[in-house]
Order: sequence, then structure tokens, then C-alpha cells
Amino acid sequence: MSDIVLVADDDDDILLLVTTRLTRDGYDIVSARNGVEALALAQEHRPRVAVLDVGMPGLDGIEVLAAIRADAELKRTRVLLLTAKAQESDVRRGYEAGADAYVKKPFSPAELADRVRDLYELGGG
Amino acid sequence: MSSWRDKPTELLLASGGVLVVVYFLVPRGNAQSVIYDVIGVTSAVLIAVGMRRNAPSLRAPWLLFALGNLFFAVADIIFNIIVNPPVPSVADAFYLAGYPLLVLALLLLLFAAGGHRRIAALGDAAIVTSGFVLLQWVFVLDGIIDMPGLGAGERAVTAAYPLMDIVLLAGLAGFFVTAAWRTPAFLLLVTSIVFLLIADEAYGVGPNSYRSGDWVDAGWLLSYLLWAATALHPSMRELSSPAHRPQRRLNVGSGRIAMLMGALLAPAAVLLIQSLRGVGAPVAAVVAASAVISVMVVLRLVGILRALERIRTRERLARADSEQAQRLLEAQNVRLLEADRMKDEFVALISHDLRTPLTSIMGYVELSLDEKLGDDARSFLEVVSRSSNRLLRLVDDLLFVARLQSGRLDLTPSRLDLNEVARQAAEEARGRADAKDLELVVDANGPVPVDADRGRVFQLLDNLISNAVKFTPDGGTIEIRVRANGDACLEVCDTGIGFTAAEAARVFERFYRTDRAVERQVPGTGLGLFIAAAIADAHGGRISAHPREGGGAVFKVELPLAK
Repeated sequence: MSDIVLVADDDDDILLLVTTRLTRDGYDIVSARNGVEALALAQEHRPRVAVLDVGMPGLDGIEVLAAIRADAELKRTRVLLLTAKAQESDVRRGYEAGADAYVKKPFSPAELADRVRDLYELGGG
Repeated sequence: MSSWRDKPTELLLASGGVLVVVYFLVPRGNAQSVIYDVIGVTSAVLIAVGMRRNAPSLRAPWLLFALGNLFFAVADIIFNIIVNPPVPSVADAFYLAGYPLLVLALLLLLFAAGGHRRIAALGDAAIVTSGFVLLQWVFVLDGIIDMPGLGAGERAVTAAYPLMDIVLLAGLAGFFVTAAWRTPAFLLLVTSIVFLLIADEAYGVGPNSYRSGDWVDAGWLLSYLLWAATALHPSMRELSSPAHRPQRRLNVGSGRIAMLMGALLAPAAVLLIQSLRGVGAPVAAVVAASAVISVMVVLRLVGILRALERIRTRERLARADSEQAQRLLEAQNVRLLEADRMKDEFVALISHDLRTPLTSIMGYVELSLDEKLGDDARSFLEVVSRSSNRLLRLVDDLLFVARLQSGRLDLTPSRLDLNEVARQAAEEARGRADAKDLELVVDANGPVPVDADRGRVFQLLDNLISNAVKFTPDGGTIEIRVRANGDACLEVCDTGIGFTAAEAARVFERFYRTDRAVERQVPGTGLGLFIAAAIADAHGGRISAHPREGGGAVFKVELPLAK
């Protein structure tokens, strides 16, 4: 288990927004722009926290989450899902897949940073 | 259908029936004759009484019935006084004058009920009458004409009776096929005329052997009695009102078929009977009747076939119409489903494609505001921040309305304390209230449990409190009161610009904005209260708006209290 935070989003602007904000808090970040890349990085770095966008092409966030949950080496990685869909059913689907937290777009970067910090501290234990 | 129960009619039938029995019990003579005459005269009078009692829209037929029966009664009296007078007598004049009056009355009823327009039914009546004419001719009239030792006058008057019976039967047949079916008055009248005809026929077969007090009298007496009962019964009013039977229905019951068959077979029957009696066949009469009846029966059958054809054509057209309508409906349904699908796609598009750029705008503005900035740059960015918040709220509201309209407002209810949700919503608005120097008070004590969707109830309260903050001028007061009295009640009172009583009824309409809100350029879309009302409604609750005394507004939400 590393101290790395993985961030994955197919939108460059939002990826930069999240990484910029989390970098300010001093985390080591690896970033991915699609689900396949995100899963590969997760398996390579075994991050403490993964921030995954749900709506990515190829493997979407929930599929990456499912793959992470299926990997015994990644069982302590905390996962936060980011989604632009506001439907309650999506939130439920995310939690059922084993998400630890859920943040709806648009989000406040400060609020996201708070949630990541909570998960980071949990993941260390 | 009319009820049979009617006191006066029952009384009449009972006492009349007793009187008829008494008539046959007393010995022949004056006493018996008096009973007969009393029944006749009373019947005529009672028809008039019945007419007054029931006041039918058409009085003429009943006057004619009364008069016809009175003529019969007068003739009876004369007949009894003179004691079997020679033919022709004054009694015959009255008897024969009575029939046309009765037939005229039947025709009047037939016309009033619209029977003259039912050609097919009248055709059936004509066919039956034709058969009767043949029988009457062969078995009654022919004998009178050939009867030896009769003077011309006597012969004419004797022959007039069977002729009158033909006329009466024609009238009865016409009335029978057209009038208001199965009302008590109808059945009483038909039975009465049938009794009269049977008695007449029994008398006609052997007029010379008749004596007062014979069993034949029962037919005439019962005819009097039933005729009076007809006029007394309240359902007599319906006899002259138009028959409400379905016009275009093909009515070929087994009764009709039997009737037509009987008429067709009447000539053959006559031939058979006459041959069995060893009497010469009345060839001319049978041939004439056969021709007339056959032609009429064939015409009637043609009519029935044509009606069938018309019905079938109509059905075919109707089926084609309904099939076309069905196809149209299916096509429309496909289009509607397509439109619905496109709307869903649009909603999803807004949801995703508007939120993604908004995430960037709002996120980067927030990051920028954390940087060291000049005063101008900071205030500009704060405007961007406020505007993007408004835009986000508008997107959310539109999405909510779209989901509401497609019936996809999912609620996830759980046990909540309305009090606690109200405090949370107030805290959320505290910053905005402070900025306008508004006093924001939550007045609540004790938990107020409701089973509701937390997010939605929060949204509802947030909409109300945000409105209050928005519409209340600086330095005002906003009070939120939560109570449990029967329902879970929540009130948001403000000292804002308020609205009129007329506007209060409309503030929950979609996109509605009050004049004052528009005048003062208070920002808004007119969706907030619509959404609040929809949420209250979805929870089985109510929301209402009231102008506050001394200015301002009161919004009241009532939700079902959790048990």
C-alpha cells in the first residue's frame, strides 16, 4: 500500500482541477484519462485512495471500481466516485459496487479535498 | 317498465270480477240485465274518470274509448229493453257506431307513438289482418250473404258486424306491433279488445241461437272491465308517448316468423277445413287472399334481407373505421414513445454536458479565489461564482421538472425529524441571510417525525427559505416554525415584498412570477415554488401561501406525521 492518490477523469480540465487541488494538500498523485489506464495504474501503484470519474469511455468508473474490489492486493484502496449524473439510482449503483464515497459534479474542490482526506486517513489504517 | 301495483285499478278489477261472477249466478231476467248494463255504463264512465286521473298528453283517444264503450252500453240497454229486437234495430245503430270510434282511438294512439313510421311492423299487422279477413269471409260473411230469407237491410246490418270486427282487428294489430310494449295499460287494452273480438266471433258464428246470459257475455263483460282498468292505470300515459325502441334493429323473433307462417298457411287451412266439412272450396276468396298474403310476406322478407344487408354494410364500414383508428393510434403511440425517448436523451444530455463545464468553471473559480488576487479580480470572480451557482440551480430545477413530468420522481423515504432538517436548511441559508442583515429564527421544540425523502424535503425547505431571503429587504426577519399538531406543520414567515391574495393562488404554478417580483427584478425562474409544491404533493402533503398581515408572506407546509 503506497501513499499515492490515483485520479482518473476523461475531461482534461477536471483532471487538472482535481490534481491541482490535491497537490496543494501534499498528496502524491498519479492521473489517468480513461478506465483502462486507471486500472493499470491502480495495479501498478496500489494507491491509498482512488478518485474515479463514473462517465469514462471504455471502462467506466464503476467497472474500474469492480476490478479494484476483485483484486486482493487492492482491497485496502479507498474509492471515491465522481459523477455528473444526479439520479439516485446511479448513487445506489455506485455504493452497491463498493464505493467508499460519492461526489456529484459540479463539486467544490475544497469539499472534494475534505472527502479525500477522510478516505486517506481511513486507508492508512 | 311500469309497475303493476295501483290501488284503484286493483279495486276495480276485484269488484268488477265479483260482479261478473254474480252476473252468471243470478237467474236470467231483469236483475241480470241490470248488472250487465251497470258494468257497461260504469266502464264508459270510468274511462273518462281514468282520463281525468292520469291526465295523458293526448286526451282524444280516451274520450273516443269512453264514447265507444258508452255506445255499446246504450245499445246493450236498448237490446235488453226490447228483448232480442229484430235486425236492424236502434241497438244495431249504436253497436255499429261504437266500433269506428274505438278504431279511430287506436289509430290516434298509434300515430302519437310514431307507429306509422314503422313500416315493417305495420306490414306484419297487414299480413295478419289479411289472414283474418279470409277466415272472416269464408266462415262468417259468406254464410250471411248466402243466408236464405233475409231482407236486404237485415243482411247488410248482420254483415256489418264481422266487417267491424275486421276493422277493429286491423286497428288492434297495428296498435299491437307499435305501442309501448309490456306496460300494464298496453296489456290490459290488448286483452280487452281480444275478449271483445272473441265474444263477437262466438256470437257471429251463430247469432240466432244467442240469448242474454249466455257464456258469450263473459267476453263482452270482461272487455268492459279491462277497458276501464286500462284507462285507470297510470301507465296509460305511456301509450301515447313515442316508443323508445331502437330504430335500426332488425326485429325478426320467432313470434314474427310464426305469425307470417300462419298467415301464409291460412288459405291452405281454409281449403282443408272446407273440404273436411264437405263444403265447396271458396276458390275466389282463397286465391285472392293467397295472392295478397304471399305478396306481402315476400315483400316483408325482402325488407328483412335488405335490412340485414344494410346492417352488414354498416358493420363492415365500422370495422374498417376502427381498424384505421387502431393503426393511427399505434403510429401515434410509436411517435410518442420516440418523443419520450428523445426527451430522456435530452435530459441526460443536459445533465452531463452542462454539469461538466460547470464543474470546471466553479472549481477553477474556487481555486482562483484561494490565490492572492487584486480587489477587482476578486470581486469579478465572486460574480462569476454567484452566476455559476445560479446557473447550476436552474439546471437542477429544469432537470427536476423534466423528471417530474415523465413521472420519474423517485423518493427514498426514511424516518426524519422535520425539526432537524429545518435547522439544517436554515444554517445553509445563514450566510446569505447575514449578508442582507436578516434575522433568521428557527422556532421549534421537540422532534417532529416524518417518513420522507431527506434530500427532497431539504430541497423543499431550502426553496422556501431561499425565497424568503431573496424577497425580504435588508434588515427584515425570517421565522421558521415547526409544529406537530395532527400533521407535521412547517411555516416560513418573512417580512418581504409579499404578494396579493389573488397571486397567492398562483404562486405554485410553473414559471409563474408575481408582478412585484418582476418589477423589482428579483432574480428567479418561477420554478422554485412549483418544485416545492410537487415535493409536498409527492409525500402526500400540502403546501399553501398566504399574505402576511403587515406585509410579507407565510408559506405553510403540512406533511403526514410518522406514526
